Amino acid sequence: MANAESKLSLVAPPGATPHANSEATPSCWSCGEMRAHHFCGSCGKVQPPSPVDYFAFFGFPRKLDLDTSALEKEFYALSRKLHPDVFGQAADKERSWSLEQSSRLNDAYRTLKDPIKRTEYLLKLEGVELEEQSKQATEQARASGDLKKQVVPPDLLEEVFELNMHLEELRTQKKLGEDDPALLEEIGKAKLSLEEKHDALLNELKAEWEKWDQLADGATNSASDSNRRKILDKMVDVLNRRNYVWNLVRDVNEAIE
Amino acid sequence: MSYSDKVIDHYNNPRNVGSMDKKDSDVGTGLVGAPECGDVMKLQIKVNPQTNVIEDAKFKTFGCGSAIASSSLATEWVKGKTIDEALAIKNTEIVKELALPPVKIHCSVLAEDAIRAAIGDWRKKQESVKPETVQAAQ
Repeated sequence: MANAESKLSLVAPPGATPHANSEATPSCWSCGEMRAHHFCGSCGKVQPPSPVDYFAFFGFPRKLDLDTSALEKEFYALSRKLHPDVFGQAADKERSWSLEQSSRLNDAYRTLKDPIKRTEYLLKLEGVELEEQSKQATEQARASGDLKKQVVPPDLLEEVFELNMHLEELRTQKKLGEDDPALLEEIGKAKLSLEEKHDALLNELKAEWEKWDQLADGATNSASDSNRRKILDKMVDVLNRRNYVWNLVRDVNEAIE
Repeated sequence: MSYSDKVIDHYNNPRNVGSMDKKDSDVGTGLVGAPECGDVMKLQIKVNPQTNVIEDAKFKTFGCGSAIASSSLATEWVKGKTIDEALAIKNTEIVKELALPPVKIHCSVLAEDAIRAAIGDWRKKQESVKPETVQAAQ
C-alpha cells in the first residue's frame, strides 16, 4: 500500500491506545519488515491492531471533506482481506487479530462514512468534549453567579419548544381518534422550515470542513493555533444547532406517520 | 440502561408540570437545551417579591426520562426556597438523589441551568419593574 509510510508517522491520539505496549514496534511480527496497519507490506501477514485513529486506519489524512466512494472501496477491499473466514487455518493469534481488525474496520467505516459522525469524531480526536464543556460552563456560572451562556440560540430553543408542544397535541389527538387539519398543516410548515434550516446548517458545516482541510494541508499559514480553535468551536456550534433541528425533524416524522 | 426507581417515579408522576404567564412580573422563565441530545426544558418560578421566596414552580420538558425527572425534582426542590437558596442547588445533588448514571449527568446539568435561567429572567424583570430597588446580582 503506497501510503503505508505516511500512516506510520501519524501519532495516535491520547487515550486511543488500549494496546499501546504490544503495538509499540513498527515492524512486522512475522518477518520484521516495516509493517502496515492491517497487513505487512512485505510478507502479507495480518498484523495486530495498531493504535491509530480511524482516519489513519484507512490511510486517510485527518480531513473532513472525505471521498466517501474511495472510503467504501477501501472498506470492502479490507473487509474481504480481513474476514475471519480467511484465517480459518491460520495461527490463533492471527485469527484473533483478524477478528479485532475486522471489528475496528466496521467501527471506523461507520464513523467516517457519516458526515456528522465523522465531524464529531474529529472533534473528539482534537480533544473537544461537548458534554465536558457544558458541565464546565455550568460550574463557572455557579461560581460567578452569572448566567450560563447557552450554546443553542434562544430563538431556536423557542421554536423547538413550540413545535414540541404542537407535536404533543397531535399525539394526544391521534390517541383520541380526532383530526385537526389546521394543526397538521402548521406542523407540516414547521417541518419544511426545519428541513431548510438543516440543509443550511450542513452547508455551514461544510464551509468549516473546507477551512479545516486547508489548515490540514498547510495551505493557510496564518496563526494556526487560534485559527484551528476557531474552526473547531464553530463546528461544535453548528453541530449543536443541527442536533436540535435533526431530532425535531425525526420527531415530526414519527408523529405525522 | 435501566432507570432508577426515583427516575421512574418522577417520569410516571411528574410534579408541577405546566406553565405560568411568562409576562407576569413575578414569574421567571428559563428555557434551556442540552446540545448532546436535543432535549429542551422550560422551568418557571413564581417569586414573592417581598420575601424573595419561590412560591410556585412549573416545568415542561421534552426529552428523556432522566431529563424529565431532573426537572421535576428541580421544581420540587426550589419551591419554598429563597432565590439564594435555590441558586445553591447543584447538579450533583440531583445526580445523587436520582441515582443518574454518568451518561445522564447532562440532564442534571440542564436542570441546574434551567433554575439559574429562570432566576436570571426573574431578576431582569425586577430591575426593569423597580429600577430603584436594584440590588447587586449576588
